[in-house]
Amino acid sequence: MNEAAKPPILRIDGLTKHFGGLTAVDGVTLEFAPGRLHAVIGPNGAGKTTLFNLISGFLPSDEGRVFFAGQEITRLAPHKISRLGISRTLQVKSVFNQLSVADNLWITAQAKRGVWNPFRRTASYRESCEKVERVLEQLDLTALADRQAGTLSHGDIALLEIGMAIAAEPKLLLLDEPICGMSPAETARTVTKIRELAQTIDIVLIEHDMEVVFEIADDITVMAQGAILACGSPKEIAADERVREAYLGRPEDEDYVEEAVRA
Amino acid sequence: MLIVSAVFLVAVPWLVPAVADRFWVNVMAEILIWSLLASSVNLLFGYVGLLSFGQALFFGFGMYGVAIGVEKLGLGFWPALGLGVAAPVAMAFVAGIFAVRLTWHYFAIITVVFSLIFYFLALTLKPLTGGDDGISFTLPPAFRFGGAEFGFASETFQYLFILATVALCLYAMRRLLASPLGKAFMAIRDNDVRASLIGLNVYWLRLAAFVMAGFLAGLSGALFAFFGRYASASYMFYHVSGEAVVWTIVGGAGTLLGPLVGTSLFILVREVVSTHWQHHALIVGAVAILIVIYAPRGMVGLWRDLLERWSGGEK
Repeated sequence: MNEAAKPPILRIDGLTKHFGGLTAVDGVTLEFAPGRLHAVIGPNGAGKTTLFNLISGFLPSDEGRVFFAGQEITRLAPHKISRLGISRTLQVKSVFNQLSVADNLWITAQAKRGVWNPFRRTASYRESCEKVERVLEQLDLTALADRQAGTLSHGDIALLEIGMAIAAEPKLLLLDEPICGMSPAETARTVTKIRELAQTIDIVLIEHDMEVVFEIADDITVMAQGAILACGSPKEIAADERVREAYLGRPEDEDYVEEAVRA
Repeated sequence: MLIVSAVFLVAVPWLVPAVADRFWVNVMAEILIWSLLASSVNLLFGYVGLLSFGQALFFGFGMYGVAIGVEKLGLGFWPALGLGVAAPVAMAFVAGIFAVRLTWHYFAIITVVFSLIFYFLALTLKPLTGGDDGISFTLPPAFRFGGAEFGFASETFQYLFILATVALCLYAMRRLLASPLGKAFMAIRDNDVRASLIGLNVYWLRLAAFVMAGFLAGLSGALFAFFGRYASASYMFYHVSGEAVVWTIVGGAGTLLGPLVGTSLFILVREVVSTHWQHHALIVGAVAILIVIYAPRGMVGLWRDLLERWSGGEK
């Protein structure tokens, strides 16, 4: 808050997580400025998803602190962090399979407004119902509103996940490999949606598709072996020798790191 | 279909004696009572994703609440019924505090452990529970109008009272399933990780469901105590819980009427076959296995699939 015009939406200070002998996230210190689309990249096993898990409270950190919009959220329970305004998607797509698409969005929109009424009908909650309609339109899912979520195609489930993340009206959206496993058409559609969203919500995304990352990200953070290797604009990252060596230029290294982590 | 069934259920006390032995009215009453226990399994397993093998504990607390209320405390019908519901609800809250921290087989195991502990406790605490013999009691009347008394002494009143109670519970459950709380339960059933990520407090919601299920099982036990005029620890054994789970799964877990359908099937089979053949449990087992393999959504699910196929064929 001292020099910067705006305080960072997310500030991470010395965050560390060990899994037995492996240090998955090793003293990561980072700041995400508001109003920009951030991408976190790095080889498999670099600690990207673990970093998301620590931020969202899904795993307890061993050391370090996390501040969201100036408020400390270190080691808070996931549902509390979610209610403060951080939404996330999961790498393995996960929705409420037996609920309809509309109900998936409805319960997400309603979750922080209170779900304890056992008698009032869900259809009578105007705010949440309108939110559902808006999100359905925004993501072109209206035609699928009554379908059971578990019966959707992979690409539509991914869209629904993003829809749920928006329905929660977050200030910060964490997307974990949003286009993983998508066809080129689905990828293009999803990338467009993410760009639109970035106009109003701060987004941090993990992605393996370099083409997509360099196309949409304002800032890129490169992680390797649990630590930050580099931070900067796509241009700076593309020009960074360390990044080239560790990751971009020598794809066989990716396999090497992967093997080292799995071992 | 539903309306026909409803009319039939209300007409049972007059219809059944006309065509068969009066004894079948009581069989129907028993089916309704046990279907509430199955509904309590269904609420937890079918809508929150928690498989409990310990609902008989709350059924037993309901029975003892009524029996102790009437016999030891000298309570009337309504206060005893109140005690028969309050005791299991309180127990469910206490047991739930520990149990809903766990899921899947760990949850199933802890529910069995809880019911075993109290089963053996009930056997030992003879002065309070009557031990092996249980407690028999004299039935208090439910209503008095002038000189006339109405109560479970009349089989017709008994049946209609039970029917009304079960119908009310199923209606309340139907409302619940269309409410925010119901949707939250189902969200947790489908994906508890995602549920916590969207801001639902999974622990408290599961505890609420556990207490509600304790209410249903307890009410079922309280009705059964009035129905049989006694309470016994044997109904707290996990065998009883297991039967309720089988009824629910065969009838259709996650459907409102599945538990009633499953309970009807098994109790009717038991009543019809057991007079001719000792090993009716074999039929029960065979049906359960076939349903689990070929109709994972139970008989109600099977019925819905058939309806869909028929209506699809007409187009």
